[in-house]
Amino acid sequence: MSTLTNIQQQTLPNGLTVVVEEMNWLPSVSFTLLFPFGSATDPVGQEGSATVLSDWIYRGAGAYTSQELSDKLDGLGVRRGGGAGKEYTTLSASLLADSFPEAIALYADVLRRPRLEPTEFEPARSLAQQELASLGDNPTQQLFETLSERYFLSSHGKSSYGTAQGLAALSAESVRKDFEARVAPKGAILSVAGGISFDKVWQLAQQCFGNWQGSGVKMPNVSIGQPHQEHITQDTSQVQIGIAYQAVEPDAPGWYENALAIGALSGGMGARLFTEVREKRGLVYSVAAVSRALRGFGYTLGYAGTTTERADETLQVLLDELRKVSRGISSAEFERSRTGLLSQLIMQGESSGSRAGAMARDLFLLGSPRAIAEVKAKVESVTLQGVNDFLQSYQPKFTVLTLGSKPLSQVALS
Amino acid sequence: MDFQKEQLPNGLTVIGEHNPKAQSFAAGYFVNTGSRDETPEIAGVSHFLEHMMFKGSDRRSPDDINREFDEMGANYNAYTSEERTVYYGAVLPERGYKLLDLLSDMMRPSLRDEDFSMEKNVILEEIAMYEDRPNFKVFEIANEKFYNGHPIGNSVLGSTDSIKNLQREQMNTYFESRYAPNNMILTIAGHYEWQKVLEQVSTLTKAWKPSETKREYPKLRAKTGSENELEGSLKRVHVAFYAPGISAQDELRYAAALLASCIGDGTGSRLYWSLVDKGLVDSASLSHDSSDGVGAFVGYLSTAPEQLEQTTDIFKGELLKVEREGVSADEWQRAQRKFATSLTLRGETPFGRLMSLGAGYLYTNQYQSVQDVVNAVFKATPEDGQRVLSSKPFSSLYSFTLKP
Repeated sequence: MSTLTNIQQQTLPNGLTVVVEEMNWLPSVSFTLLFPFGSATDPVGQEGSATVLSDWIYRGAGAYTSQELSDKLDGLGVRRGGGAGKEYTTLSASLLADSFPEAIALYADVLRRPRLEPTEFEPARSLAQQELASLGDNPTQQLFETLSERYFLSSHGKSSYGTAQGLAALSAESVRKDFEARVAPKGAILSVAGGISFDKVWQLAQQCFGNWQGSGVKMPNVSIGQPHQEHITQDTSQVQIGIAYQAVEPDAPGWYENALAIGALSGGMGARLFTEVREKRGLVYSVAAVSRALRGFGYTLGYAGTTTERADETLQVLLDELRKVSRGISSAEFERSRTGLLSQLIMQGESSGSRAGAMARDLFLLGSPRAIAEVKAKVESVTLQGVNDFLQSYQPKFTVLTLGSKPLSQVALS
Repeated sequence: MDFQKEQLPNGLTVIGEHNPKAQSFAAGYFVNTGSRDETPEIAGVSHFLEHMMFKGSDRRSPDDINREFDEMGANYNAYTSEERTVYYGAVLPERGYKLLDLLSDMMRPSLRDEDFSMEKNVILEEIAMYEDRPNFKVFEIANEKFYNGHPIGNSVLGSTDSIKNLQREQMNTYFESRYAPNNMILTIAGHYEWQKVLEQVSTLTKAWKPSETKREYPKLRAKTGSENELEGSLKRVHVAFYAPGISAQDELRYAAALLASCIGDGTGSRLYWSLVDKGLVDSASLSHDSSDGVGAFVGYLSTAPEQLEQTTDIFKGELLKVEREGVSADEWQRAQRKFATSLTLRGETPFGRLMSLGAGYLYTNQYQSVQDVVNAVFKATPEDGQRVLSSKPFSSLYSFTLKP
């Protein structure tokens, strides 16, 4: 067992890791069950399988029908969340601490003893098809799903919404097989934060998951294509602009330096993008750059939404700012970015839900959870010189995707 | 948890919920004004003004404001609704006084001409953004129609035309009449020293002058029936449903919220089982909005065009069934338990607390702790639900559809 301040972690013999942060002043408990499968490991031709699967398992499990299970969880006051992502699927919940033992036993049923009844398969698939179709009326989401598809060569580009063909090709048998292949304890994570002790959680985890076996599927490596520019013509009021470029892989040298640089670019309303694109030029309502992390790969996404006649200028200004940051940030920008990061960290530490989610992600991406004090120390050890050396050492190459009523002019992609 | 309250000589009310164990401090000015307090020729001014409040004061330039928020590491923003405008931030306790200084200074803005012209573009972009979001747009249109002349149906954003035509002098006049200290509340939550806060705020707001403000409370003559509008570029149909509800001052508001949860919560509700679970829609929900002197049940449905008739029939059928038969004791208890968990979770951070504390006080002039609200939710009975249903709200349902 390892002890990191208030975080304790231990792995069951079957490979499921339990991590707990005790926050004994809270009446609530939040937990995230993370499984290392998602759209990136959907079987070829069955895109959307992880999403349908993560719905179907809730439709009756163990001794309970779909409705009985749902009523049980609601009766315990469980607020449910989660779903399938690219690399992993989560089942998350927040509840009052006294309901935790009963709730975790129900989740064990969902994961280990789902009924997967054929009559419940069609509605689960149909719901996934409805959600995919609803993207048609959500241009921003559509932009990012498509950008991801264009940016990655590896299956990380696949959307968790699936594809119309992939969803149509699924059958109760294929998804049942997929369940047997991919839902397994090896590499899975149970992350818990709030008013509960590690010992209690560990004891319940042993009872619920101890005798479960299975090793799941292997994750492919990330690969990306050549930078390029593309436009999707669609009748919208605003042009949607999305940009993707490679950054630093999680925990590699430059990871925290990059985080501080992104803060200077897009951390608050005083950061560069908001100031240059919105405040000085009035080009947009929304503009941002955010970091995204996959296992062994980090990238940045840029976004702006603007009306057609201002789209070319907006794209130019946005790219200029993304390029300019390579020349370095000022010490005032560095201070603001650092203060912002540190105070967000402490405020996240007040909520059981954010801690449970953050520890699960850390374990998946970095191999161990980071205590708030540990992240704080790492952020504090970064220097302005370190950030600027890092920035000068890499030249971003942009993949640009736009969506709107007419194409934009070609831009330089580095 | 201690509650504190003080009214300053200029009429500004300061309320606080002190939590010595909190690791942060949150503060917000809750101004009792929004689109319902606008006349048609200044439609959208409350929201536009909210943007302008970030554009500097006698002591600060627009850059100063954004920069200082960032220097404090604040989690901050503002929002405008039909009946209030809120400016808020959360910081670590040692930066609380800086935050109060900045927020208070912002409440006396310069409203400069050049900033007004520049920000107009941003507002027009925001309107264009929502044009592309039919799940939002359907409510923009339906709200106005359902409330049928009642000012709470006024659009928060205004229209492209009303914003283009708006003059800075009109905004000044609106500001002078609505941002009087007696028409706003300063709310604080988390870790702070009450006496120090009061002294600081008294000094910062000393020059603020009270004035007479009022709000109209006409009787609601809600529209019923169904209407629709075609929009060629849509892929899906989007339906907004409205029925008369309970005001934020009425004790029955908890029962109304629990009823709405039984009918249309995201998990385990009647609409969930009859529409979402079956994969007939991507979304079907019902909630209850309690506002100042008026209230409504508000529902939403999104589906494929060919399933419009079938799914709206099911939706309406579920509402009418509850109106006739009520809900079971089990359903009621599940809704209570879900509600209690959500309230408790939201109440765990000063930031989460700030919002319900300020909004609740604005409506009722009364303090309610998280536990008070949880108790009130558990005290509401299915019979209270019957009382809400006795006026047959769903028999006078209004629905508005946006479709391709």
